[in-house]
Amino acid sequence: MEVEKGKTAKYLKEKQGIPPQATEQLKQFTKTKKALLNALKEGDKTVPQLADKLNMPGDAVMFQLMSLLKYGFVETGEIDDMDEYFYYKIKSNGKNKS
Amino acid sequence: MQEQMKTLEYDVLVVGAGIAGGESALNLANIGYKVLMVEKEPSIGGKMILLSKVFPTLDCAACITTPKVSEIARHPNITVFTDTETEKINKKGEHQFEAVILRKPRYVDVDACTGCQLCEEACPVSVTDEFQFGLVGRKAAYIPFSIASPRAAVIDIENCILCGACERACPPDCIDFTQTEEKFLVKIKSVVVATGFDLFDPLKIPRYGYGKFKNVITSMQMERELAPTRPFNTVLRPGDGKMPDNLAYVLCTGSRDKSVGNPICSQICCMYSIKQAQLLLGALPMADVTIYYLHIRAFGKGFNEFYAQAQDMGVTFIKGKVGTITEKENGNLILRYEDIEAGVVKEAEHDMVVLSVGVLPHQGISEKFENQKLKLDPFHFIDQSDILASPAKTSIEGVFVAGTASGPMDIPDSILSGGSASAQTTSYLRKEEL
Repeated sequence: MEVEKGKTAKYLKEKQGIPPQATEQLKQFTKTKKALLNALKEGDKTVPQLADKLNMPGDAVMFQLMSLLKYGFVETGEIDDMDEYFYYKIKSNGKNKS
Repeated sequence: MQEQMKTLEYDVLVVGAGIAGGESALNLANIGYKVLMVEKEPSIGGKMILLSKVFPTLDCAACITTPKVSEIARHPNITVFTDTETEKINKKGEHQFEAVILRKPRYVDVDACTGCQLCEEACPVSVTDEFQFGLVGRKAAYIPFSIASPRAAVIDIENCILCGACERACPPDCIDFTQTEEKFLVKIKSVVVATGFDLFDPLKIPRYGYGKFKNVITSMQMERELAPTRPFNTVLRPGDGKMPDNLAYVLCTGSRDKSVGNPICSQICCMYSIKQAQLLLGALPMADVTIYYLHIRAFGKGFNEFYAQAQDMGVTFIKGKVGTITEKENGNLILRYEDIEAGVVKEAEHDMVVLSVGVLPHQGISEKFENQKLKLDPFHFIDQSDILASPAKTSIEGVFVAGTASGPMDIPDSILSGGSASAQTTSYLRKEEL
């Protein structure tokens, strides 16, 4: 069967469906991403400040925040007065990808 | 359906495309043999390509690996199959082997992919990045790492939601979800086994708290934190993003330890920990670094000088065996250890702990040999049947071993071993030609 180029995802989706854990994972990531970005929109924050505000464990904040940094949503700001924690902020290079 | 196999013919099959397999393949290809390299990962380069720097010269690991890797990728006598596993190997006679290999679908046309990463940007999924050892996420459509070879995208089909965003974003239309796995029958004259090693999983030592205490990491995770393509903006604690200023290394985690089933020395941990300590002093000039060791094994050329250099730089060395690690509320860690020289049990607080994990055999390849036995040594590495005179020789005539598949060794020794395997393979092949 010839499948049209550029539409092959649809073919596989119809053939074998989407793994349920993948959908669940995406839901969780989108939710956390939204919460982190909303918190940073209010002002630059450190990882412990984000963890406090969102009531999330520090390591989970760190993992997701660093992923958002990698994906280009967030950038690193200044370090705090004690030279311990960096502030993170919404990346200001124009386009706000989502 | 499954049995419709394409047949391929080469002189040598090299299983594993790390630095040792790569060295063997290059040497064999340079003297005219046709080589097929199979690699289970989506990129060649093995573990070395993921390191920050190498000891004792502090050369950039990528700067040594990438020219070799690109030479392998462009060599007219080498064919590389990534995402490919060896299913079985049979010896049909002298200079006659048959292997069955299985290539898993990558869902990307590697030759057409330009590595532009637009699919990565378009993909909405985020999962754990195995090439950053779990410190950060990656997309389901992704390039394994920036210096990967081939530098082409891969679709992680288990985590993909098949939304098609990557396909719509891909300029050369190289994403193809209709790809399926392919089996090949490979006829070769000789085999080089270069399947490398596995790192010890510190979850097997619960008293060190790895997994539970987030500021206890493995040496490979620290290696990534120190690499130019690091997961964080600098060296940070994964537990809360704090810049550490008092780090500890626990040597012999999973090595020289009968209780975890690995009584032998891993040969590389002392030196890579000393290397990382020196790099940390560069990255975090205010930090203290303490190394808890049983014996420092600095046996190679320039190693002892490298150890002395670390001492001169201010790294603290404590001859001590760490018993337990506990966590304080602020994420700092208390190490309870036996100070061997003083003969007393002490406690010390650090804000980050690196477990210098050992080298374990990468098992599985010996079972792929169906009609002859590829013998293993008592520690499950591949047995070298004539270790002194012909170190690459195995229990099967015509099958040679390269690199850490035969036991723990550092990078220069792996490259030497790869060279030795290629020389002995050549000698075996020439016998047929005479």
